[in-house]
Amino acid sequence: MLEELLIFTRGGLILWSSCRALGAAALKGSPIDALIRSCLLEERSADASFSQDNYALKWTFHNDLGLVFVAVYQKILHLLYVDDLLAAVRREFSQIYDPKRTSYDDFGDIFRQLHREAEARAEEMKKSKQALSSRPQPALSQKKVGPKGRRGDSHGAAANKGGSGAKDDSDGDDSGNKDQNTLVNGAFKGQENGVRKENSLARPVVVKGKENGGPKDNGAFDVSKLQKLRTNKKNVAADNGTKKLTKPDTKKKGKQDRVWDDKPSNKKLDFTDPADERGDEVTDNVAVIEGESMMDKDEDLSSDSEDEEVEDGPKKKGWFSSMFQSIAGNNVLEKSDLQPALKALKDRLMAKNVAEEIAEKLCESVAASLEGKKLGSFTRISSTVQTAMEDALLRILTPRRSIDILRDVHAAKERGRPYVIVFVGVNGVGKSTNLAKVAYWLLQHNLSVTLAACDTFRSGAVEQLRTHARRLQIPIFEKGYEKDPAVVAREAIQEATRNKSDVVLVDTAGRMQDNEPLMRALSKLINLNSPDLVLFVGEALVGNDAVDQLTKFNQKLADLSAVPTARLIDGILLTKFDTIDDKVGAALSMVYISGAPVMFVGCGQSYTDLKKLNVKSIVKTLLK
Amino acid sequence: MDEWVHQAEVWVRQAESWIRQQPTEQIYIAAAVVALTILLLIVASCLKSSKPNTIVLSGLSGSGKTTIFYQLRDGSSHQGTVTSMEENNDTFVLHSEQERKGKVKPVHVVDVPGHSRLKPKLDEVLPKAAGVVFIVDAQDFLSSMQAAAEYLYDILTKAIVVKKKVPVLIFCNKTDKVTAHSKEFIKKQLEKEINKLRESRNAISSADISDEVQLGVPGEVFNFSQCQNKVAVAEGAGSTGTIIFCTASANPLPMLDAFHVDC
Repeated sequence: MLEELLIFTRGGLILWSSCRALGAAALKGSPIDALIRSCLLEERSADASFSQDNYALKWTFHNDLGLVFVAVYQKILHLLYVDDLLAAVRREFSQIYDPKRTSYDDFGDIFRQLHREAEARAEEMKKSKQALSSRPQPALSQKKVGPKGRRGDSHGAAANKGGSGAKDDSDGDDSGNKDQNTLVNGAFKGQENGVRKENSLARPVVVKGKENGGPKDNGAFDVSKLQKLRTNKKNVAADNGTKKLTKPDTKKKGKQDRVWDDKPSNKKLDFTDPADERGDEVTDNVAVIEGESMMDKDEDLSSDSEDEEVEDGPKKKGWFSSMFQSIAGNNVLEKSDLQPALKALKDRLMAKNVAEEIAEKLCESVAASLEGKKLGSFTRISSTVQTAMEDALLRILTPRRSIDILRDVHAAKERGRPYVIVFVGVNGVGKSTNLAKVAYWLLQHNLSVTLAACDTFRSGAVEQLRTHARRLQIPIFEKGYEKDPAVVAREAIQEATRNKSDVVLVDTAGRMQDNEPLMRALSKLINLNSPDLVLFVGEALVGNDAVDQLTKFNQKLADLSAVPTARLIDGILLTKFDTIDDKVGAALSMVYISGAPVMFVGCGQSYTDLKKLNVKSIVKTLLK
Repeated sequence: MDEWVHQAEVWVRQAESWIRQQPTEQIYIAAAVVALTILLLIVASCLKSSKPNTIVLSGLSGSGKTTIFYQLRDGSSHQGTVTSMEENNDTFVLHSEQERKGKVKPVHVVDVPGHSRLKPKLDEVLPKAAGVVFIVDAQDFLSSMQAAAEYLYDILTKAIVVKKKVPVLIFCNKTDKVTAHSKEFIKKQLEKEINKLRESRNAISSADISDEVQLGVPGEVFNFSQCQNKVAVAEGAGSTGTIIFCTASANPLPMLDAFHVDC
């Protein structure tokens, strides 16, 4: 069951809630706030769904009106109709929306209607699936009923008149379109009728289909071809070529479906445009009835028509009209318009050493936030995309938690215990060097620092740290090599508490993220000592590997910990920042993946070369 | 080079002779029109920038900014709110003033989202601010105290706030709840926290300054009266809407006169 459907503005005002309108029980906790805070504001809005506690959430935007639609349901249920329903609600609500109005009590009836329809559609789909898998032969008839909805209706009618040829077919389709129009006007009876009508129609269809099947093969085939053409055209027109890439895939699926006792893959429903999907289903079904041999021809024809349509698309929009639109400022941004600008932006980000995966995700998220928006007058698409990306980057890099370590140190001091920082990272990124820099910085602010040499693995590590300690005149706690680092760290902290030291800096051995035994040891160290700060040391030179490193570190720390609430990485220390010129992408990759802020930036060889990240200059450099 | 100069001289001469040919009235009228347009533009820009009347609602996420925004505008918080992703921004006559006769001035109110990722938005609106309302969740104060103090510290040390002496009102929201803390307690705790912050922030090396001004008198324990701009504390409950800014009658801040009638 759907728990709640909520409509609110980007400003945060709830416009309509199904719980309130239909008198259902309120949600436990606040999954919606969690969604906004940890998903939508983190530039992950291009994800498919989000789960919190027992709830799963799906959402869609109306960017032009600044509306957000969120559906909440129990995680264990796999509701197939949620996307469908959200799209329908979005379409209907945007028509009655008025920025000045704040209560939409009358939307309750419309919603109930939409909900019932969506449920019925999903129910039918499921039924057809079951029937198909159990009884292959009669399943055909059931499957015909399967693809419900307005277009399904028209096709059902068309197929019914199969023998009589193409003209009748087109009539059927027209009536279908009419149905659609009335729907858009807000009257839902049309569709209700459609569903019922279809049920009544479905039966004769089967009979006729069987009759036609043998003797009148040619006539039936014509119909199917026409239908296929039409549906394809529709799809292409609707999507304006952007779906073209996915097209071949769905085609292949269609071919597989032709095997008689195979299950139709309904999984696709989850992420493709419902209208598109339904169209495809219908063509599949018709093709199945007509038999296999003609399929190839069909395919050729349809692909031809597709090409034509695509070529027609841009031609229609001459440069004059597009310029006029840009001056009038009435240009609604579509995904296909954004694509070139986004691609350029993605390339630019990747040239700045941002991991490919992250550049991709960011661009998707920006596209999701811009699609459907109206372009202002005298603005170009590329500049609009650029500003949106700038905002997004600024938002990501702005720290979520306080990065004022000194205050936390003072707070710990008041509680009479040392503040513990653990430095973790892969080999050779500069953990010990930057640990010494941090120690120097802390010493400058009149704090007493103890070093803990917990790198009991690499030879010379303890000596290296001892040299730093001697130069900085600070105590170092060491136990030699071949000891359990977790125990060494614990003893170091105890020692520091006794000596009234303010800060303990724990140096650990460098380890590759895939090295299971070493990661287990690190997890033990962190869980045993519960440090105040787990600092991931990463080099700014790293490219695509940054994603892997941080995800694996976080994952291993979570998986291998003995306690249920595992400690993850709290902050990032970016080293070798002086070596990279303008390729600052690693900062973005790391922050996006872990959600942790960059606390320090190491930028040189001397003790003083430790800086804070300047977010604005990073953003500027990334988009330069 | 010489050729060009010569050419220019020729053109100047031509222009002069052309002007001489025109009737004098026409030239005077043209000059007058130009002068008048410039004057009008200057006056318009002066009027625009002379008095900012923007009230900025700030505070942590979940403290009730959006609720108060709609309470001020419409007199009700409608069906509740969720975390804001964008600022709410409107110019309106306060709901409680709508029935009043006489001159009522519309106020421009901006509700800045409180999520820490959206903090940079605050910098965009502060230059236009006539007053800042910092909203604190009085019910859930202890857990959010540090973060709130940090946010307030950031606002109080912004160069533009100090330079223009933008008054700040600390508003303790949700005092209708039984477990809410009193405004005196909250004020004292915030002062204490800011005092700590002042030490740790001043200690940060000059390379990484984010705050632009020193706060309070060095060497003394911080309290709000040391600020150059006026800082006042008030309490109320945004969700019920009955007692918004109820202590504002004793409020020295001129900008909040617009608000205090909302009691």
